Amino acid sequence: MLSWMLVLMVLLPALAAAVAAVVKGAFARWVAATAAAVVAVLAVWCCLAGYGVSYRVTLGDLPFLAGTASAPVPGVLLDPLGCILLLVVTVIGFLTVLYSTRYLSAANREHPEGPAGQGRYYFWLLLFLASMVGVAISPNFLQLFIFWEMTTVCSWALISYYGTPRSLAAGFKALVMTGAGGLFFLGAICVLFVKTGSFEFAALGQLPGDWRAAVLVMLLIAAWAKAAQVPFHTWLPDAMAAPTPISAYLHAAAMVKAGVYLMARVVVANPEVPPAVAMLAGAMALVTIFVALSYYFIQDDLKRLLAYSTIANLGYVMLGVALGALGSVTALRGAALHILCHGFGKAALFLCVGAVAYVTGSRSISALAGVARTMPLTATAFFVGVLAVAGVPPFGSFWSKFMIVAGAMRLAGAIGPVVVTLVLFESLISFAWLLHVAQKVFLGETTPVACVNSDPPPAMSAALVVLMLGCLVAPAFGIPLVQWIGR
Amino acid sequence: MTTPELLAVAIAVLLAGAAASLALARRARLAGWVSTAFVAAAAAAIWVVVVRAFSSRAEGEATVLALPDLGARLSVVVDPLSAFFLAIVATIAVVATLYSVDYMTHFAGNTLAKFYPILLVFFAAIVGVLVVSDFLFFLVCWELMTLTSFFLVTFERENAASQRAGWKYFVITHAATLCMVVAALVLWRQCGSFHFGDLLAALAQLLATRPLLAHTVLGLLFIGFATKAGVLPMGDWLPDAHPVAPSGMSAALSGALVKLGIYGLVRFFGALLPASAAAVGWGIAIALAGTASLFVGTLTALRQTDSKRLMAFHTIGQIGYICLGLGVGIACLRTAPTLGALAIVGALFHAANHACFKACLFLGAGAVLYRTGERDMNRLGGLAAAMPLTAGSSTVASLAIAGVPPLNGFASKWLIVAACLLAGMAQPLFLILGLVAMFISLATLASFLKVLGAVFLGQPNPERRVSEVPATMAAAQVVLAALCVLLGVLPFWPLRFIRDAAAASVPIAVPSASELLGGPWGLAVTGGGAALALWSPLVVAGGMVVLAFVAYGLQRAGGAGRREVAVWTGGEEHAAATVRYAASSFYLPFKHAFAGIYPRIRWRVPAFPGGLRRAFDVDAWAYRPAARLVERAAGAVSRSHVGVPQVYLLWIVVGAVAVVAIVLGLVG
Repeated sequence: MLSWMLVLMVLLPALAAAVAAVVKGAFARWVAATAAAVVAVLAVWCCLAGYGVSYRVTLGDLPFLAGTASAPVPGVLLDPLGCILLLVVTVIGFLTVLYSTRYLSAANREHPEGPAGQGRYYFWLLLFLASMVGVAISPNFLQLFIFWEMTTVCSWALISYYGTPRSLAAGFKALVMTGAGGLFFLGAICVLFVKTGSFEFAALGQLPGDWRAAVLVMLLIAAWAKAAQVPFHTWLPDAMAAPTPISAYLHAAAMVKAGVYLMARVVVANPEVPPAVAMLAGAMALVTIFVALSYYFIQDDLKRLLAYSTIANLGYVMLGVALGALGSVTALRGAALHILCHGFGKAALFLCVGAVAYVTGSRSISALAGVARTMPLTATAFFVGVLAVAGVPPFGSFWSKFMIVAGAMRLAGAIGPVVVTLVLFESLISFAWLLHVAQKVFLGETTPVACVNSDPPPAMSAALVVLMLGCLVAPAFGIPLVQWIGR
Repeated sequence: MTTPELLAVAIAVLLAGAAASLALARRARLAGWVSTAFVAAAAAAIWVVVVRAFSSRAEGEATVLALPDLGARLSVVVDPLSAFFLAIVATIAVVATLYSVDYMTHFAGNTLAKFYPILLVFFAAIVGVLVVSDFLFFLVCWELMTLTSFFLVTFERENAASQRAGWKYFVITHAATLCMVVAALVLWRQCGSFHFGDLLAALAQLLATRPLLAHTVLGLLFIGFATKAGVLPMGDWLPDAHPVAPSGMSAALSGALVKLGIYGLVRFFGALLPASAAAVGWGIAIALAGTASLFVGTLTALRQTDSKRLMAFHTIGQIGYICLGLGVGIACLRTAPTLGALAIVGALFHAANHACFKACLFLGAGAVLYRTGERDMNRLGGLAAAMPLTAGSSTVASLAIAGVPPLNGFASKWLIVAACLLAGMAQPLFLILGLVAMFISLATLASFLKVLGAVFLGQPNPERRVSEVPATMAAAQVVLAALCVLLGVLPFWPLRFIRDAAAASVPIAVPSASELLGGPWGLAVTGGGAALALWSPLVVAGGMVVLAFVAYGLQRAGGAGRREVAVWTGGEEHAAATVRYAASSFYLPFKHAFAGIYPRIRWRVPAFPGGLRRAFDVDAWAYRPAARLVERAAGAVSRSHVGVPQVYLLWIVVGAVAVVAIVLGLVG
């Protein structure tokens, strides 16, 4: 039952994508919204049904691998870590689709959009949803890799959606960089298969020491590229040329999380990661956090600012995973929780920026001020998002960041205190800057650009309200869920 | 109902009130009355908890929620110390909300949807801070309190000053909170739990084994609490944030929020240090920080002409008194329990008193602002006749804060200074600090005489028609002023409970109330069996009343008349407003003498090094050159595509020959 539900969650959006691509105009968005809603409900049901257990089923076998691979390849896996990603992907995915139904319209003052091209948009969006669900429920490296690359292609198509030279270049750049990272993933899988005859996550543990380190570094490079970590951090800010709901979903909540999810998956399946690799991952995560921070202060485009904040927060997740690899299970759980909490917070922020751009036609920090006067709901959601992303209690990211720093403290020696100090320092600075930007844009005297009518249409506002609530209640169901990770 | 149930009811009532006032936000007065009703109901529940905590029916700890992975659990306990602060908060909350009913109607452009709901959540968060006994959840409530108060401080959306002040407030206090997070984590690393008792035990152990680390932790905790309390220099947020908040909120900030910093200090430093060897050092440090605050804060207040800013600086000053008492208490408690207890009790009493008179003063300043639209005291004057209730309450509160007998400020300052002077016998530093505190009381009096003179006395501005504020606002002020008198005339009544609060929070046995403070109608400090100091407020108050009647009788009997004359301006004709003795003209020598006492430090953000910026831009030095290289290589290869079939045939032949040669070479 559960296994077929999981398969249905991949097939249904893929099918809906095909339908959306061929039907005319406005009908596409209803197909998309319905499919996304069904998938979200199914995902919640699956997570409740499979709560706290690791559920795994094999579905048939690939004939050309029969006899060669030690375990059959196609299958589904639902465990607490997968549940976290599944919830982020489907719930925020549904909200994104809901938001898009109004965002892509002629009333959008930033990008007026007729009904003509929308079938293409929903096709790629739903295909992405399907492949992201596939990533979350993959039981082995090979299947994960296939869905992983599908998300890359969807990302390329959606970044280039507007077809302007800038968006085409950004889409190509994202494709090349994440695709190159994908090659390292492929290399890692090849080595693993040649050495162990298996694609299982746990097969990493059977590799001899040096090979294991090499494979892990290759996986790490793939994850860095996907999650826009240093030194591959340059594609994500450019990818902000995509429509804003896409930036919220692919480039903040879901796709970039695939990179960190891969590493979390590896660490959960193989607690014995060579310390040197873990240290490398942790050090690069810290570097990423601070490199991203250094870009905050020179941004004028709200979306680019949020993109750098996303990079930093993915650094947090990576840091938690690295600390988990060093032996701190609390940090690993914190990292998983951060995937969830950051997803809600950052999606709320992006969708707010989209709402502001939808109504005013601008997303420039210097041009906007006093938007709260006419858009109180959007302003509330943005402040909630800022507090949630910055880790101010009682909002989501506080709990996840706290678990990560507490996990760091659990480690012996000086690593813990150093990591805690650095992380809290970054946390404070980024909180101060984001708060400053929120005040600058939403409060103060209203500028001419911001003299607009009202909050965005109900469908967009509803998405914002749900995300706001998500920021608040995510830890309430996230913390019990992550307790099952690493048992 | 049990205590946790009562607290849950109180918090649920506050949250329900938040929802109700959000729904009614369009109708300003109705929303205010509804909020007041909900706050009053919650306050009633809290008062039941308070009474219960001070009676013998105290209950143990109740755990609501546990996070075993982190060693944290949401546990609730109300001991007398919590109860004491809960009582302050419950009182101030009702008064501040009642006052806001009419006060908030004069903010035209701002919706009240962002006032009452947030105010009620703010009160709920404060209740949470005071009752939880687990540091993680303490921090959650603490930051919830900070973030709600941030939105209340920045209530006036279009006022750039309030936005700046709010930002500064939130960032500084958030930094302080992060300091506390580090401190808690260091202790958690030792004991694996966030429970107050476990953390204190771990800290005590750390003091014995690794004193340097222990003192770092104590320093971080001190920064965390002192920042919220407004101790300088971390309290620099306070003079900016208090004035810009709506006045009801200013009262809540000064009356309730900054007190929680004191609560934290007592809860951690008071509970741990007196029994340890570090008591004297930290006691002196806290006392010095307090004295510096009261000296700098009060003398800076003397220079202010903005009424609410002036009061904010006095908050810093009065918090300084509290810290002074606390520091002396912590330092002396082990060697001289009576003296130390006296100082701590005095400090806590001053916290309660400060809540009364400072809230009353902020409400008074708000009342003046409500009627005249002015905070600048230079442009005010002669309001006493038009606003008698406001003027009367503010006068009582001003005299109370200045420590004029028989009001409550005198009683608590008397205890603090007495403790300082007696402790000075053994530790001369405390003698000096006590003398400074006494001198600063004078500066406080001077400062508030300026306020009373500049705002309420003198000739009124004839162009401005001013009347008394609405009944709700007047009632709020009168209640607080009455409390100032009551606590001052009958100090032993509250002090009995404050002794219980102090006794419950320090690790050393405290003498009973009558031993410590003397009889029920006055206060007496005894040492070595002999009374060292006495304070009989009823006698003094009675004497003053008698003298007042005598003076009045003499005046009547002598038939002394009163004549009113215009200010003589040398024959020139001036409007009354221009020849008034303005607020900025007071105490010029003082201002010159202490000009640089509160320096304005301008932070320069360092420029980001350009080299590093270029290094971070991996696109510029790696990826784009690599892409260009690939492009150029592809171009070079494409040059071989000449489009002539014969050339391609030639390539094929050459290739075939090469392949055959290689194969032959390999085989042969």
